Amino acid sequence: MASIIELRELTKRYGDLTAVDDITLDIEEGAVFGFIGPNGAGKTTTMRILTTLLRPTSGEARVAGYSVMAAPRDVRRAIGFMPDFFGVYEDMKVWEYLDFFAACYDVPAAGRPGMIDDLLALVDLGHKRDAYVETLSRGMKQRLCLARTLAHDPQVLILDEPASGLDPRARIEMRELLRELQKMGKTIFFSSHILSEVADICTSIGIIENGRLVATGNVGDMMSRLRAHRSVVVRFVPSAGVDLAAVAAGLENEPGVLSAEVDAAMPSTLRLDFGDDDSELSALLARLVGHGLPVLTFSEERGDLEDVFLQVTQGAAD
Amino acid sequence: MAETTSNTRPAAFRGKLSGIFSNPVTVKELRSRMRGRRAFVVLTLYLLVLSAAIIFVNLVYVSSGSYPGNTMTRTAGKGLFAAILGVQVLLVTFIGPAFTAAAVSGERERQTLDLLRTTLLSADAFVLGKLISSLSYILLLVVVSIPLQSIAFLLGGLSGVELILSQVLILIAAITYALYGLWCSAAMRSTLTATVATFSGTLFVTFGIPTIAFIGLLIFGSMGFMTGSSLTTSVEIALVYIGLALAATNLPATLLISEIFLLERDTLIGATETIVTRSLWLPSPWILFIIFHVAAAIIFYIAAVRRVRRVSDV
Repeated sequence: MASIIELRELTKRYGDLTAVDDITLDIEEGAVFGFIGPNGAGKTTTMRILTTLLRPTSGEARVAGYSVMAAPRDVRRAIGFMPDFFGVYEDMKVWEYLDFFAACYDVPAAGRPGMIDDLLALVDLGHKRDAYVETLSRGMKQRLCLARTLAHDPQVLILDEPASGLDPRARIEMRELLRELQKMGKTIFFSSHILSEVADICTSIGIIENGRLVATGNVGDMMSRLRAHRSVVVRFVPSAGVDLAAVAAGLENEPGVLSAEVDAAMPSTLRLDFGDDDSELSALLARLVGHGLPVLTFSEERGDLEDVFLQVTQGAAD
Repeated sequence: MAETTSNTRPAAFRGKLSGIFSNPVTVKELRSRMRGRRAFVVLTLYLLVLSAAIIFVNLVYVSSGSYPGNTMTRTAGKGLFAAILGVQVLLVTFIGPAFTAAAVSGERERQTLDLLRTTLLSADAFVLGKLISSLSYILLLVVVSIPLQSIAFLLGGLSGVELILSQVLILIAAITYALYGLWCSAAMRSTLTATVATFSGTLFVTFGIPTIAFIGLLIFGSMGFMTGSSLTTSVEIALVYIGLALAATNLPATLLISEIFLLERDTLIGATETIVTRSLWLPSPWILFIIFHVAAAIIFYIAAVRRVRRVSDV
């Protein structure tokens, strides 16, 4: 599938500080791309370049085939941008707010009332059509901002921390909305530092730290990468008096075992760092039982994107 | 063919006019500004104050036994006209720019400027929209005062030329000062600094330049007095032209001197004056005023658009 967002050796420097460092990235049309990283990693800077608000120091960024530097107007037509702040006019009514931005995107006046009703229905704000923006809750304002990004029916949505500061209910609503937009065929590029929301809805992710893209790929690939170093917990019957240190030393020579150590937090428990071969893991369990060791539980600890994130970042930025 | 041209011209004008008032920024600003009772209350209070002033002037002259057409009443007409003109000068010099000084910086502070810059709205349309919406209200205040100003006609002593010229100058000053406020707003990060810069500029033009000119005149006069010799003819001529140019930067001075040209020299365009031994043609300052202010308005407009259009490097 064609790339709708292309970054080539994109770099942004402020004096000695490199905010975005040589990022190369391709995002396919229709993807939901989660751009994750700690605060100050360079997520917002990258997004500001993609939305034509910031000039890159070097490299190139293209959206829908248009260069952000050479054809900013075409890029603007292709994107809907929601920054990490509301950006609302408090003294306007909800429908006026959408009407204003639709007019700014050259949407003909005749088509606007119907479009506004459709957008408000999509974000579940139809009942607030004539309410003043200042009377909306935080979650409602965020949904209104999302509706605004859709006013000109863009191909790509660029959303900076769309769930930031929302309560759990509003966050779930936002997640559902993003799923709905994905079904509508929109490409969604959004940043977050809340990994659980990224894992739930993303088709692909990129992890940025200190301006560098340290990992990128689809969510499945990322999980496989995690599986290359999966954690296996082996618990023996506590009353059996197993010599855990001796067993751990013996396991280190077994196929597939990368390391074995006694879990200080849990009694009668060993923690193994194991490779990705399932048959080797099964054989290991058989050998342990075959040697008469009283295995109580033998389980793989389920990793998530949070583990991927911790593996690939050093937590230096923040 | 000729028919087609004559029909398309008004159509094109109507298109441009509707384009100006369908500017999304203008529509949004006017919706917000004219909403509720605030605009109505301000307009009413403004007209009540002007009406009270007119009634007061009228009562004073009626009680003095004057009748339409006599010298006393003509003086009252002039006084009335000058008073309303003074209010208009204050409006366009200080209130109009105060609206535009918050136009761009307010969007920046509200964090909506970046949103607008990611839309298809051009910087020209944005600046024009802000200008028209800010000017509309001020011009509304100016226009609604014209019927009151016309009462001066009933009292006599006021010509149509005086009224038209004064309103043209007020309009041009309103546009120029509003654009200056817009440029300050675009160039400065906060509304506070933009407002301070705007008021500093309009105060300097209104009061600073006349003060400097007056001090300069005193210094030159005392120099001549101290040296015991009068200034040379060429210096005096230069001073006259410099004084005229300085007057043309100042709205009250331009209105006043243009009025003097009209009344005492009976000329709208200019008059020949004898300076020492030489005859000089002196233009009425409104001509220079229009040239200066139109040029300044164009410069401020272009500068404001450039500031808004500029892609951020930070």
